[in-house]
Amino acid sequence: MLLSVENLDVHYGSAQVLHNVSLHLNPGELVCIVGRNGAGKTTLLKTIGGFHAPSRGKVSFKGQDILGLPPEKVALKGLKYVFQDKRVFGELSVRDNMELAAFPTKEPLSEAVAKLVAIHPKMEKLLGSKAKGLSGGERQILLIGRALVGAPELLLIDEPTEGLAAIIIGQIVQILLSVKSKLSMIVVEQNLSTVARLADRIYIMKEGAIHREITDPEIIRQPSLYENDL
Amino acid sequence: MLKRIEQSPPLTLLVVAAAFFVYGYSTSLFKITDFIIFTIFVLGFDMAYGQMGKLSFGHMLYYGAGSYGAGLCAIHVYPDPFLAILAGMIFGAALGLILGPVLVKLKGAAFALSNLAFNQLGYFLVLVPFAPVTGGEDGISLSFNSYGFIDFSDFNFRFYFYLACLLGVVFLYQRFTRAPYGIFLRATKENEIRVRFLGYNTQVFKVVTFVISTTLSGLAGALNALNLQFTNTSLIDPTRSVEVIFAALMGGAGNVLGAVMGGMAFMTIRQYLADYLVRWEMFLGIALLFIAFKLRKGLYGVLAKG
Amino acid sequence: MLQSIFYGLTIGGILYITSIGLSLTFGAMRIVNFAHGMVYSVGAYGLYYLSHSLGLPFLVAALGSLLLAIPLSYVIERLVIRRLYGQSIDYAIVATYAVLLIGVDAIKWIFGPNPLPISDPVGISLNLGFLEMPVYRLIIIGLSFLIFVGLSIFFKKTIVGKIVVAGLQDREAVRSLGINIDRYFAIVFVLGSALAALGGVLYAPLSTVQPYMGFQVLVLTFAVVIVGGMGNFRGTAIAAFSLGLIIALTGRIWGPAAEAMVFVVMAVVLIIRPIEV
Repeated sequence: MLLSVENLDVHYGSAQVLHNVSLHLNPGELVCIVGRNGAGKTTLLKTIGGFHAPSRGKVSFKGQDILGLPPEKVALKGLKYVFQDKRVFGELSVRDNMELAAFPTKEPLSEAVAKLVAIHPKMEKLLGSKAKGLSGGERQILLIGRALVGAPELLLIDEPTEGLAAIIIGQIVQILLSVKSKLSMIVVEQNLSTVARLADRIYIMKEGAIHREITDPEIIRQPSLYENDL
Repeated sequence: MLKRIEQSPPLTLLVVAAAFFVYGYSTSLFKITDFIIFTIFVLGFDMAYGQMGKLSFGHMLYYGAGSYGAGLCAIHVYPDPFLAILAGMIFGAALGLILGPVLVKLKGAAFALSNLAFNQLGYFLVLVPFAPVTGGEDGISLSFNSYGFIDFSDFNFRFYFYLACLLGVVFLYQRFTRAPYGIFLRATKENEIRVRFLGYNTQVFKVVTFVISTTLSGLAGALNALNLQFTNTSLIDPTRSVEVIFAALMGGAGNVLGAVMGGMAFMTIRQYLADYLVRWEMFLGIALLFIAFKLRKGLYGVLAKG
Repeated sequence: MLQSIFYGLTIGGILYITSIGLSLTFGAMRIVNFAHGMVYSVGAYGLYYLSHSLGLPFLVAALGSLLLAIPLSYVIERLVIRRLYGQSIDYAIVATYAVLLIGVDAIKWIFGPNPLPISDPVGISLNLGFLEMPVYRLIIIGLSFLIFVGLSIFFKKTIVGKIVVAGLQDREAVRSLGINIDRYFAIVFVLGSALAALGGVLYAPLSTVQPYMGFQVLVLTFAVVIVGGMGNFRGTAIAAFSLGLIIALTGRIWGPAAEAMVFVVMAVVLIIRPIEV
């Protein structure tokens, strides 16, 4: 097992936002987490990534307890969180964005840039431009490219297709599927047709808890069978 | 026990009055009059900080406005002490009304520093351009009419009159914070957007609160001018704004007893310890650090829990 | 008039050098650092002690006093600033103000409350007939431009600079890449403090050193940061030189109002464009 989360409770102040959440991930798997706004998906990913401290529970990655580690240490262990809202460093160039990703992993910049160009060749021409000038899709690709630097084993990707046009979503899906052979992923996704194309397994979250787990590929391919569970 | 006192307005008045009586008669009424004035100032400051969550770094401006309002009224209008006090409050209120609509929109550091900037400006105005009226650095000395036993040059009378003022302020403070108005105010402090969604005009609430705060500060300044029988620029000096912040934090923000304890404790330290504490500012600094890191709920918080 | 502009540029240069650190901590850590004024005074008093009491040459004394500011600011960062991160801004204001008070009193304790004079280390003026330019003031203006260029390169070209630029925008995202952002903010904090000390060093010979100089400059540098925008390097430079010119030109018309004008500008800016801290 690559990742196991057991009995996680998270509070914001006095309000409990996660209730006894347990899940796991096997090496090579791509798991989607779906659910409505406010179901606790982002909180769950951020807690795994070390950005929130839970009030109870256990998170282990490659058999090691990672709870309580700061996010930068979690990232260096090979578990990277990719923020939603296409949060690139706008004032820096695309190349500088990659340099920042390469710096803590000690990977040469040229290798890091090659990874980005490999998933999206058009990026080669954009390396010198400021990241704030990129389109939404390009930003998302840059975020994924940044996360691929080093040798990550698990990416937690939050809402990668949110706000993108259908054709761009198709590109993102292709990119995610193309890197799937090298690493595992947990993807938070609202768009169920995207989920149907991506997921090996699905967790449905509702009101801060895991509501249902779907493992049958036949069901996964037909969103109509579970969309009422959201 | 403190909480029970705080929850009952008559009991609060009784306890505050008793505390100042005991303290006054066991030390000196003359000195404790200073304590009372400062405590009124702390309550005024706390109206903005404790109730509204806005920390001002320039509240000496409103205090100074009160002092000069009282002083200038006595010299240029009529040397009636009550008229002077009223003038001091009007000066404080007017400044609050002019600056409030802009200032209360600011948060945190911006609010703190804008008040400081206006305090600097006020200090400068009093010191230089208005020096012919205010006496500049030397200030002006004042005298007031007396009517029988109503004699502000008699410290016994001052003690009782000022204590009555303080009790009046305490009474009003509690009325305000208990009224629906106070509840809205605290709700606004917690989550302003939500209160606004409910259809309430939070801006009006905040300006009103700010004006109450500056008016009470002006009252304290005016009482001090009558107490000292003079005003000078030290009564509007921005570097002294930290004193009231210190007292409010030390006592515990947001309630009457905390403000009273903070005011009394600060003045006690300054009156009785300052002679031994050669390094007064260093002491103040270390004490502030302690409060900021270890005593965030103030004396009230510690005593109410224990 | 030209003379006033020249003096304004000198004041602007010192304000710029002193304000950078404040702007960075404001922008990066969302902390209002009153202790910044203390480091400025320490720079000036360090210079006084090393050059007047120990008799070292000006340059050595100036350098020595910058070196003194580095461990001092590191300690402040570790013991006070870092513990305030992410907490209510009120406590940051109170705690760093406390540090300033302690510093002011320590200076009074060691050097006494009276102003102490430091003489112009160059003492030569260029006289152009219509304009007299003390060389020392020219050096200040030159140095502030050099620092501006140096910092621009630092933030554009070095990895530490880039990390800080990214962190100013999105601290958590930097951490998600595996970078311990606090360490880099601490480096920048120390750098900014050393520059504040340099501001104190440069200002001392133009006036006198006195215990409350840190408090006075603090309010001016806040005005610079608020006018220029928090964490905005170019804005800080523009604001510093503009306010320097305002001080000098107001002073030319009516001396006492010089610094008061700065607060008028600051108040106007705050009203037009409130900051969200």
